[in-house]
Formats: sequence, structure tokens, C-alpha cells
Amino acid sequence: MWRLNKVRHKAGRQGDSLEELRLKRRDHEKALRQARRDRQLVSRRLLLSEDEDQPDVFMDTAPGEQDVVCLFQKLKHSGPEREAQLKALSKALRDPSARLTFLKQENGMHLLVSLLTGSNAQWRLQAGRCLHELSLSAHTSVAAACLPATTYLLTYLSGQSTKFTELCLYTLGNLCPDSAVQDKLLAQGIIPALASCIENQRHNLAVVEAVGFTLSQLLQAKDAAEKIIPMVLASSLPSHLLSVLTPDPNFGLAPAIECAWCLHYLTCSIVDKRELLAHGALSQCSSLLVSLGDAIAVGNKEEGIELLVCPLLRCVGNLLASCPVGDLNTQVCDVHLVVALCALIQAYLQTRPALARESAWVLNNLTAHSSDFCSALLSFNLVPGLIQLLPFSQGINTLILRVLANVSHKKKFCVQLGQLGLLSALCATLKMTDQEMVTLSLDILFMLVSSTPQLAEEFERQGGLSLLEAIQYNSEGEMRRRATYLLEHHLLLL
Amino acid sequence: METMQQPHVLRLTEGDVLIKSREEDCSRGGTHKLGHSECEEVNPFSFTPQLIHLHRDHELFEDGDIHRHMYLQDLYISEADDKPALSVSEFACHISGCSAHFSTLDEYEHHYNSLHRHVCCSCRRSLPSARLLDIHIQEWHDSLFTILAQSQDMYQCLVEGCGQKFRTSKHRKDHLIRIHTYPPDFRFDKSKKDKGTREMKKQLQKDTAMEVADDVCESEGVCEVMCDVVSDRPEQGESMEMHVSAEEAAPMAKCASTGEHADVSTAAHEPVFTSTKPVNPRSSYRVPTTVCFGHGSVRGFRGRRGRRK
Repeated sequence: MWRLNKVRHKAGRQGDSLEELRLKRRDHEKALRQARRDRQLVSRRLLLSEDEDQPDVFMDTAPGEQDVVCLFQKLKHSGPEREAQLKALSKALRDPSARLTFLKQENGMHLLVSLLTGSNAQWRLQAGRCLHELSLSAHTSVAAACLPATTYLLTYLSGQSTKFTELCLYTLGNLCPDSAVQDKLLAQGIIPALASCIENQRHNLAVVEAVGFTLSQLLQAKDAAEKIIPMVLASSLPSHLLSVLTPDPNFGLAPAIECAWCLHYLTCSIVDKRELLAHGALSQCSSLLVSLGDAIAVGNKEEGIELLVCPLLRCVGNLLASCPVGDLNTQVCDVHLVVALCALIQAYLQTRPALARESAWVLNNLTAHSSDFCSALLSFNLVPGLIQLLPFSQGINTLILRVLANVSHKKKFCVQLGQLGLLSALCATLKMTDQEMVTLSLDILFMLVSSTPQLAEEFERQGGLSLLEAIQYNSEGEMRRRATYLLEHHLLLL
Repeated sequence: METMQQPHVLRLTEGDVLIKSREEDCSRGGTHKLGHSECEEVNPFSFTPQLIHLHRDHELFEDGDIHRHMYLQDLYISEADDKPALSVSEFACHISGCSAHFSTLDEYEHHYNSLHRHVCCSCRRSLPSARLLDIHIQEWHDSLFTILAQSQDMYQCLVEGCGQKFRTSKHRKDHLIRIHTYPPDFRFDKSKKDKGTREMKKQLQKDTAMEVADDVCESEGVCEVMCDVVSDRPEQGESMEMHVSAEEAAPMAKCASTGEHADVSTAAHEPVFTSTKPVNPRSSYRVPTTVCFGHGSVRGFRGRRGRRK
């Protein structure tokens, strides 16, 4: 289900004001950033059910520990109210401390498991919901306590009730960051199970999304590269993931998003990407980027689309880094990719600069060793737009300048670059604080004037000589040497 | 994202990044003119296009990861709600010893044109105009002038068009005060012997000392250092001739202190530039004999005539 439609204006499960929500988000963001720096970035996903549609309904009684204990006691006895009691229990288990209390009850988990595996389908479902609520806990003891249930959850992945399968998937996905759970699941064949699930249920996009989520959780494990990824590559999962990438217009972006993130985790973790390339990962991701970029360029910026664009960019970027140059044209059929990338940079520069930066990174990898893509930048008249991005720091301008350097490196394009105003842009970038910008600028200048004498003259006309002479007094020896070399070998001799 | 004061430099650490570069011929020596001697120096340019691989935990991926996880936790931030600050690069005066920063190119140009042009090669003084620079060079660094001045009126009036000349700088000064109503402490008319004491104290920051090529300077004694001007520093009696002093002796802003930074490096090459140890006080930089600022109408550093043809 496309969460953003459901969740966007919902202020969490309790009523929060807008300001409270902003604060909450900011705090969360800070916590996530720190977690990422510690390499501990883990998220759990809540599966909303139908009766979640009233977030503004406050509980009459706050879910307290009392409730959990009471409910548990009642549940031990089978009766007509069991289902209602289970529902009440799952609501009660939203409270973090209630979860711990429940698990402290003797045979609490045992009861849930027996209900989960019993013959009453409703009880199974509700017991599953209780487990789901438990799985949201960040407390390490909770995941361990849920171990007995995991085998069954895994078994149910091949069941026929898609709603139940979805529930089990998210629950497993929430639990598997725990290493004990993960080891158990791997031993019990979760990878093949996920592969079968996505294959059998490929028309049920809600299940596909859930599989994607669970797989993405597994792929983020610390030692995924050794323990998990080889199995994944050996399975049919990569091709299924690729087949889901194009978003379904009715269902929404969510399944494609999950699968794209899985592909990203796969791509950046493995060194030998030939298998992925053989599956057509690069061509699919790049052609999807082309169509998304085209849509975004004309203003069709669907909300949340960047959640899909981001992992696609990363896949393409890293696959390009491993793709043999000779294969580039077959893998990336559409030269329009440069257009799409530039469109993405422009579209996201102000609102999501990090995404603009990632797009620039991909553009670098695309143009590094390919004359065709460099030529495309020129023939699609994208260079002036790139030049206008040179003031923007935080890594954007250095990557853009790198792209322009890639183009300058192919001597035949130098004249055109000169005509497009690159020289005067360099006169500005040579004065920037950022040493990398200055160095790259000198490099480009060298490539331009050494290949094309008229560009040397043009540079002089623009007052470049005094600029270089100033650089001869730069505190960095490297800079001085380069400026001197340029002056002595290419400029003052005219 | 917070607004950043300094531009954020994205460096790709050697350990994090797998870089592959092609076997390109890096030694693009360029064309040499006929008759020009084979370059004594190695071509210092080493740019080659590089493929950049980023691993999962790379800092360039941080924002996207956070956004993804916020979405998973139902805390998605839409564009309408989020207004990140886009940073713009700053400019900096690169002249060794000058650590001025600017947010616009205009400011940079003004700084440079005001303080670093019309600079005497020999003693680093900056004069406000080409004419005053010429006069300065003549009176301070031209031994012929010194000789002639013993028997002729050599000291020109500073006012353009006046044309009068005087036997001593004192006479000229009197003329300037009486006739042209100049202030008695006009800053751009210091006589040579004034310069000694005060500026000795200014001789600082050896780490930016630029040793001047010897032939002219010896006779004048100590040469001041090119420094940063930022504040106006009218110290009385002090020549305002732009001894832009190196304030905090800050080495060129490295912009390197946030987060993971290192240099892009290829398998085969040394890093393009390394973040440096501070300039060795002993290793001073000689003014290149062959090049001087300014030729033709462009006035920059003057005093070193004769550039290599």
C-alpha cells in the first residue's frame, strides 16, 4: 500500500500538533544520523491494518502494563471473547514497556505461538498481529524472545493467505536485524522462501513490497556480503527484483522502492558485479532513470518519487564503476541518460541537494571513459546548465567540475567547451577557497589550452594571465607549479 | 541541513573508494614551441577521468539513507516541509600569506585589485597606482637613481601633471604639503630610511616568508612579508603601504576539517594534492625570476623586468 497517502497527514498514532510532529521528526533524524555513523542504522516497519484508519481515536484507557497482564490471564482460557481479547492485546502491545511486561509473563510467547499455529484462522491472524507489535521493539531481549515464533512465520510465507503472509513478512523483517534471529532464519532457508514468495505472489504487489522490505533488512546486515548476498545472487531474486522496478501506476511506488533499495544494497556490497550486469541490472535501472528523469523534468514530481530515484541512481553509479567500457553502450542503451541526470540535478538542487549530488556522481561515472556520453552532453546542450551549477558547494561543484574535466580530457571537445563559456567560468572557480576546485580548474585549463591554441589566446583576453600569476604566489606548492607550468609552456609564449 | 559557512569539500577516502582509472597517457606535455628548450620540469598535471565506486556507508549516501529510513518509520518529510540550505562556494585570496575570504567574486576582485596589484616585486609593498609604484621602484630599488640623485633633482612630485622635481624627498614632501596641501603624514610617501625600525617588528610569520631573489634586495636590507590586510590598520607613523600582514598566519583554508576527508587517488598516482603539513619555515619561496605580475597594461607586481621570451 502506498503509505504516503495514508500516513502523510497523520501525526503518528497519538494526536500530535504540527509543531510536535516537526520536533519529533527532527529528533528522529538526529538519532538516525548518529545511528548511521555508528553503523547501527536499523528501522522497523509497522504494517497498518484496516482498523488503523482511525489514528485520532484515543484509547479510553491508556495501554498500561496492567492491561497486558490482565489480558494475558484472560487469554489463557479459550472462549468466545478470545478474538477480541487478542485484538485488545495487540493494541496494548503498542506500548514499549507493555511489550517487556508481556514477555516477562510465564509462557507468554508460548501462548502466542500456539495460537499462531492453531486451527483457528482468526486467532492465527490476531496472534500474528501481537507478534508484529512485539517485533517493533528496539529492545534486544524482545527479538530473542520471539525466536520460537520465527520458524512458523517463515513457514507461513508459502501459505495462501496473502494478508497473513504480508503480516509475517513484515514481522520477520523487523526481527531479522537481530543476529540470533538472522542466523536461524538463514539456516531455515529464508532466502529461498523469499524467492518463492515473490515468484508465486508477484501479482500481489502488497506482498511483493513486503518481500522487498524483508530482503532489504537482511541485506543491510553487517556481514551480509559473506553470509547473505551469495545466496541471494544464486537465487532468482535479482531478476524478480528487477522485474518489479517499474512502478505500477495504480498501486503506487512502494514495491518498486523496496526492490530498488535491495538492488542498491546488493550492488554496493559486491565487488564482482558481472552477474548483476548479466541480469541486465544496469540497462534496466538506467532506462527507468531516463523515464523518471523525463517525467520530473516536465514537472511530474510525484510525491515520494525520490525514494525510488535515489537507489536507482546508486545502482547505476556503482554498476557503471564496474562496467567495462566496451560494454557500456550495450548496457546503457539510451544516451538520453545524460539528459535525465542533468534534469535530476536541476530539479533537486534546491530541495534535495544530496540527491543532486548523487546524480552528479553518476554523471561523472558515465562520462569518465566514454566519448559518446561526453559528446551527448554537448549535443544535448547540457554544458551551459552544468556551468551554472559551479557556484554550489558541498560537493556539487567539485563533481560537476569533474564531469567537465572528463569532457575536456577528450581533446576533440575542447573547442566547443571554450565556445560555451568554460574559460570564463574557470576564471571564477580558480578563485574559490576550495582547493579541489582550484586544482580541477587548473587541470581543465591545462587540457583546454594545451590542445587548442586559440583557447590560450581567449584565456589571455579574459585576463587569465594575471590570475595565474597570482596563483604563482599561492601557498600550495602544487598550485604554484601548475600555474608556472601553464604560463611558461602554453601562455606566455604566444 | 544547516547552513554551512565554509564550503564542504567532498573527498573520497582512499580506503572507502575503489577507483579505477584507465591507462591513459597522463603525460600530456602539450605542444612545445620551436626553439623552446625541452621542459626542465615534469608536467605537473595528472588529471585522469576516474570511476568512483561508493560503498554502502559512504558519507555521500548519508542524506538519502536517512530519508529512506524516515520513510520506513512513517516520518517522511516532503519537499514542502523541508527547506535545506544550499551552500555556495566562497572565494579566497590565494596569495601566500593572505588568508582573506569572500562570499562574492566582486569582493574578491576588489580585494585583489586594491591590495595585490601594483606590488613591488622586491619588497612586497603594494602601492595604490601604477605611477606611485613606478616612483617607488625608482626611488627605492634603482641604484642608478641613487647615484643620480646625488647630483640632480630626481624626486618627482607625486601629483600627476605637476612635473617638478626635487633634490631630496624632504623637499618634495614640503612641496606636497605647501603647494598641493597634502597631509604631512601621507602614507604613500615614506622615505626609505623610515622603513627600517617599525617594520622590523612586523617581520613575522616566517612560515609565509617569501624570500626575494637577491640581486635587488640586498641593498635595501630586510624585506617585509606579504601579508593579509583584512583590517585597516592605521598604525601611526606606519606606512600604510599595504604590509598586509599575515594575521593569524592561517595557512590557506584547507576546508578539510569536517567529516571524512582524504584525497582522490588513483592506483597509479600520488594524490593530486595532499593536505599539508604547515609550510616549512625554512623553505621560502623565491619569486620566479622569469615572471612578474603585469605586462603591458596589466599592472601587478612590478620591478622584475625581463620575462622570458
